[in-house]
Amino acid sequence: MTAKDKVKEGEIWAIGGGKGGTGKTFITSSAGTYLAKKGRQVVLVDMDIGGANLHTFFGISRPQKSLTSFFEMGASLSDLIVPTEMANMSLITGDIHSMASDKITFTQKLKLFRQIMKLHAQTVLIDLGAGSHNSTLDTFLIADKMVVVLVPEVIAIENMYHFIKNSLFRKVKLTLKEYGFKEIVQHIWDRRQSYGIANLKELIDYLKESFSYIGTILDHELSSFRIYIVLNMVRSNQDVELGASIKSVMMKYLGIPIHYSGYVEYSDAVWKSVRERKPFMLNYLATGCAKQIETLTENLIKNTDVERRGAV
Amino acid sequence: MAKDDLKKLYDVLELPTNATLRDIHNSYMRLKKLYSGESIVLEPLGEEFSDKKKKKVLEQIEEAYAKILASRNSEAARTEPLFTEGPPEERVPEDVDPASVVFSGACLKKAREARNVTLNEISKELKLRIELLNNIEAERFETLPEAIYLKAQLRTYAALLGLPQGKVAEDYLARYQAWKDNRTPSKE
Repeated sequence: MTAKDKVKEGEIWAIGGGKGGTGKTFITSSAGTYLAKKGRQVVLVDMDIGGANLHTFFGISRPQKSLTSFFEMGASLSDLIVPTEMANMSLITGDIHSMASDKITFTQKLKLFRQIMKLHAQTVLIDLGAGSHNSTLDTFLIADKMVVVLVPEVIAIENMYHFIKNSLFRKVKLTLKEYGFKEIVQHIWDRRQSYGIANLKELIDYLKESFSYIGTILDHELSSFRIYIVLNMVRSNQDVELGASIKSVMMKYLGIPIHYSGYVEYSDAVWKSVRERKPFMLNYLATGCAKQIETLTENLIKNTDVERRGAV
Repeated sequence: MAKDDLKKLYDVLELPTNATLRDIHNSYMRLKKLYSGESIVLEPLGEEFSDKKKKKVLEQIEEAYAKILASRNSEAARTEPLFTEGPPEERVPEDVDPASVVFSGACLKKAREARNVTLNEISKELKLRIELLNNIEAERFETLPEAIYLKAQLRTYAALLGLPQGKVAEDYLARYQAWKDNRTPSKE
């Protein structure tokens, strides 16, 4: 499924990033709350299959409805929307039974994506689980804004690279499949040594150079592949700067456009609000974190970057 | 230079084409530091971002920086590297022996000219009067503000040119103080 199939109501933002525990759910719920307070109609979808907990951020302990009904009983997605105490904000809670994401069939997946796109909302925020499973990648790829959340640690950075590389590889494969070049990408990749290809960027360059038709397709289809980075739990200016470095490396390495949309500092207030099961943005409005959430959400809306103040 | 070519150079420094002089210097130094050292951002990519690749990226950064500066000035293009090697705080103007460098007004002027930067640009960038900048470079101490203000101005000036801020302020203010010390007795 690509951008041109979309006949949809609003904009979809997917929040992923590979590693668990980086604060994807916190960022999703907080950015969503900010958007709803601004007056946008927001639906949050918890796609962290098997590890769903977005509802707890809104004080809901046992959701009446969840994605389970969609997968097991064929319920329609729009019937699973649960209101929250906030105006403009509703929720589709995740699958709280531990369902394995590889049990989802291809047909179910397509049906789910179609229904997500038809949700009545100005912004649909999808909270993805950890990992780089194909279902997760495919959900990431239907989004208009592909957001990755990470923390300033080497493992999180590594997992994020892995996640973005897998997403890009998947995107290239799916795109070429759609144009009738189903096997070619995997075929060349499996024999990359004999082609002298060392990494994904070189594979893409090779495809573009060797087949001008494919080059045209990829240039066109990959122009929408744009990643938005959010750095969570930063503790120093040096940490903040890491976002700019990651952006630089990804652009120079993969040649894809990247935005460094924002950062959120490490704070006990966040930890407390998660414990209290209350929306952070309603209860801790005066904190630096809340301001940083506002800034990063505005940056996401406008495709702008963290403002850098001449630090070297 | 064609507009597209120039855009590509700005892309290398990850800047929009309307970037200020300060952005250009800062971005250049930041990227140079990132790709010449160890970083937890590059480490996970290992051989996928090899030393060879890093070297190539550094070359592109140097090239983009030199060409952008040249394009911003109508004077003859200067293509050779503008800084000696080493971390930013240790860099000194190329033409000066690092051991003997004292940041006098003349030295600052020389460093500025080596970077193809005009006083007018600095004036706009730092919101400082051009006369003040002229007086700093010419060491017309009698026209300069109190040391406490001058120190801040010297530091921003130095930062803009990628010079060691602390040393510039220290060297220059020492000369200023020496002038003051000499002047006082003669006045009495």
